Amino acid sequence: MTDVSPEFDHTAVLIQCARGEHEALHQLYVHEGARLLGVVLRIVKDRGLAEDIVHDACLNIWQRADSFDPDKGSARAWIFSVARHLALNAIRYRDREITFDSNASIELGQDEHFQHPFTSEEAFDWQTGERMDSCLAELEPERRNCVLHAYVDGLSHAEISAHTGAPLGTVKAWIKRSLLRLRECMA
Amino acid sequence: MTRSSNENEHEDDHALAGEYVLGTLSFEQRNALEARLPHEPELQKAVMAWEERFLPYTAMTTPVQPSDYLWPRIERSLMARGALATHTRPVVSSRPPRRRLIHSLPLWRGVAGIGLAAALVMGVMLANDVTEPAIPEYMVVLLAPQTQSAGWVVQASSPQEIQLIPLGTFEVPEGKALEFWTKADDWQAPVSLGLIEPGQPIRLRLDQLPPLEDNQLFELTLEDEAGSPTGLPTGPIEFIGRAVEI
Repeated sequence: MTDVSPEFDHTAVLIQCARGEHEALHQLYVHEGARLLGVVLRIVKDRGLAEDIVHDACLNIWQRADSFDPDKGSARAWIFSVARHLALNAIRYRDREITFDSNASIELGQDEHFQHPFTSEEAFDWQTGERMDSCLAELEPERRNCVLHAYVDGLSHAEISAHTGAPLGTVKAWIKRSLLRLRECMA
Repeated sequence: MTRSSNENEHEDDHALAGEYVLGTLSFEQRNALEARLPHEPELQKAVMAWEERFLPYTAMTTPVQPSDYLWPRIERSLMARGALATHTRPVVSSRPPRRRLIHSLPLWRGVAGIGLAAALVMGVMLANDVTEPAIPEYMVVLLAPQTQSAGWVVQASSPQEIQLIPLGTFEVPEGKALEFWTKADDWQAPVSLGLIEPGQPIRLRLDQLPPLEDNQLFELTLEDEAGSPTGLPTGPIEFIGRAVEI
């Protein structure tokens, strides 16, 4: 139901944007605006900031459309990556400002006394019907949760550690190893 | 230090690209990776591959209908850029000052976009008072990134002279100072415009710099009393905004 209607041609829209056709960007906004805002909002968790980021993402897409190369990847992945990385930069920039807090939470996370016993229950309904599903399915549920908390919720290692109760070092190792396994599986 | 084989390095880069796409890298790590991207096609490929693999999982978020104001706002920003592009396209691209590339462009864009929007609103309001702009005039509203409250305004009645006007006071911590920076889109790094006394308006000649241009970034960072030791912003950004032609 959240699937893209097959007739929308993201590549064509980017080519039109590169030619300077405002209407193409508008079509893209009408088609993907709500989904882009949903993705960004989940990461930044602030409605005003999320709309600012979608605004910036649209301008970025417009300005950089001529640098999009269909041989290197799909237009839709490119479009969503522009918005996601703006959102991630914004929250990681904010993290930088509150170094003290994040250090404190890291220490807390490392201290065994403060840890909740972590669960291996599924935190997400994550099946999409894509090939990657079977690769994610091969990961242990707690590792899969870490990966999805990062991608979908924009959580940092420390936040995932606090959220799941798994020690920080473990979270880092799980994510790194999961990525290597996913890559092998998708190869 | 001793990486045994290329193999290993590649594996590391694939994992790094994956963490970049997942979003678990710190701000500094993200900047470092984004700085490598333009010159490393293999890394670009690795990043795009992860973007493709994870894209389906964006469907796990619920779509949120943007407010009615968002598209008109995007359109205004597009118009502002479009109008400018036709004006200034022929201008010889003035050589950016030679500085080391440190600051990541995506950040500057990201943070400053907020300022741009505010500045556009102000620009529209002020446009009514401007009678006959023979040469482009610019203004910038500098916002605090955290609170998004306006702290300073930059006005330029000529491309070579600007005025920095405080809108309020600012407590500078002991042993620190506010340093003023600017950077146009095609410069590789910001250039210092000197230390600023909080609460004091100041007029600056920009003779050493290329003429002011639209979207040029201005920011105030908190640096050591004697100014940044590296010649580039090192401290937190206190106020930031971009120039808008009015």
